[in-house]
Amino acid sequence: MPAAITTHSLTKRYGDLTALEGFDLEVAQGSIFGLLGPNGAGKTTLIRVLTTLMRQTSGEALIEGLDTRTSGRAIRRLIGVVPQENSLDRYLTARENLELHARLHGMEGRHYRKRIDELLELMGLAARQKDFPDTYSGGMQRRLVVTRALLHEPRVLFLDEPTTGLDPQSRRAVWDYIKSIAGSMTIFLTTHYLEEAEQLCDRIAIMDHGKLIALGSTQELKDRLTGGTFYLIEFGEDAARYGAMLRDMACVREIEVNGRAVCVGLASWECLSEVVTALNGAPVRRIALREQTLEDVFFSLTGEKVRE
Amino acid sequence: MLRGAFAIWRRDMLVLRRSILSELVAVVAYPMTIYLAFGIGMKGYIGLVDGVPYSLFIAPGLITMTAVNAAYSESTWSLWFHRKVQFTIESYRVTPISVSEIVIAKIMSGFSHGLVKGLAVALVIFAITPFRFSPDHLLGYLVFLIPGSALFSCAGVICGTVMDKPETIGRIEAIFIMPLIFMSGLFFPLSSYPANVVPWVRALPTTALFEGARQSLVSGVFPVGFALQVAITALLTFVAAVWIFRLKMSE
Repeated sequence: MPAAITTHSLTKRYGDLTALEGFDLEVAQGSIFGLLGPNGAGKTTLIRVLTTLMRQTSGEALIEGLDTRTSGRAIRRLIGVVPQENSLDRYLTARENLELHARLHGMEGRHYRKRIDELLELMGLAARQKDFPDTYSGGMQRRLVVTRALLHEPRVLFLDEPTTGLDPQSRRAVWDYIKSIAGSMTIFLTTHYLEEAEQLCDRIAIMDHGKLIALGSTQELKDRLTGGTFYLIEFGEDAARYGAMLRDMACVREIEVNGRAVCVGLASWECLSEVVTALNGAPVRRIALREQTLEDVFFSLTGEKVRE
Repeated sequence: MLRGAFAIWRRDMLVLRRSILSELVAVVAYPMTIYLAFGIGMKGYIGLVDGVPYSLFIAPGLITMTAVNAAYSESTWSLWFHRKVQFTIESYRVTPISVSEIVIAKIMSGFSHGLVKGLAVALVIFAITPFRFSPDHLLGYLVFLIPGSALFSCAGVICGTVMDKPETIGRIEAIFIMPLIFMSGLFFPLSSYPANVVPWVRALPTTALFEGARQSLVSGVFPVGFALQVAITALLTFVAAVWIFRLKMSE
């Protein structure tokens, strides 16, 4: 079975700026793939190349085995795109927006009318189909954009930051829908919300400065994170003094004191007994394992500095 | 091949149909003001121009001006709005249609706006003035009006593609489009120009358009040279519009 998306040494330059550099990627059919990266990492450029909106400088990008440079029209038949901006036509009603999209895909009237009815019902927009998108809430507009992208039954769905700007309820509704269609098509998702990637994606790629810097499942990425195990130790008093004492221990790699709590990074979990022994007699109220999060992985790979 | 172009044109016509009354009021107001101010207000002072009353002399030009202005404005603003504000051009571009189809659709829409609005002004002029012409002259007039509207629609597509700021679009209209229209003999005969300037003015496609349209409609004379000039310019502008739009989209 060919991969849904493949790139080989994909490179895109804008003058002196390299937005993508030797990018190699393979996304399995039917999977949900997440792409993470700080602003300016090259995510949007990658999506634009994959959706045939932009031509690469060198390298190869294949969608369902079709080359983006030579089979643009055939690829656009296979893909659905939910862009960052809503890109809905505010002078057309919701239904008319969908009808226009169906005509652009060359769908037959009797076929698309039925499909639009089904999707509007499924997405909870049937009652408002004759309204203009401007009168919709942000969540409804987003659902309409997703509906439009699904209308022609794509085999690969690109979602570029699909829940940006949505309230938690609307975000959860979009997640639920993405989960419900998982398996029936390949989903390629970019997001700034690490929780979103963790919740939805089978595999995650982290990119920065146009390069792929990590790839794997959430657990694989967490396991790859160096720095060992983190524990949170809460003291009744003198947390700073005990923190300073722990800092001197050989097996302690990181210390962060926050009020009465001290976050201790150990080289390995075996060091815990050594720490407990050292704290004999100290007013320890609680010791808890602090799980590594995808955010820890992300920051460790891309840094915490705010990007322009 | 033009399935996508027709789908987008159909969308534009649906939107036009929804706002047709308010649009027509605005569109008719401007040329009618000019007609009343110049054609009626100045009639007593000007008398005959090229053998016809002044109010008849400017009528074909006003109809043509409305049509080409509407074609230009629709193409420019529609393309700019869909590209920079609504991002609908992006949503068209991820469907299996070509970039050329998008630009052809916008040219067709501009052209249709031009014809509808030109017709509206013509009907109002016929209704409230004694301006009349022989129906036999209409075909010759359309030979100018159709490629003329297409030419301005293509020019609008180029502006809407190249210009990113709305104020720049307004400036282009004020600096190039309106002078091209006004200086091409819309309100006065070309003989008013100094003799050494006339060949330059006659070389303008807008002169060919307005002079040719007037001669065809009022006198029934069909100036083949002018017709070819308008048609060839429209064709070249069309090729340029498609090329520039494709280039911009590949950025």
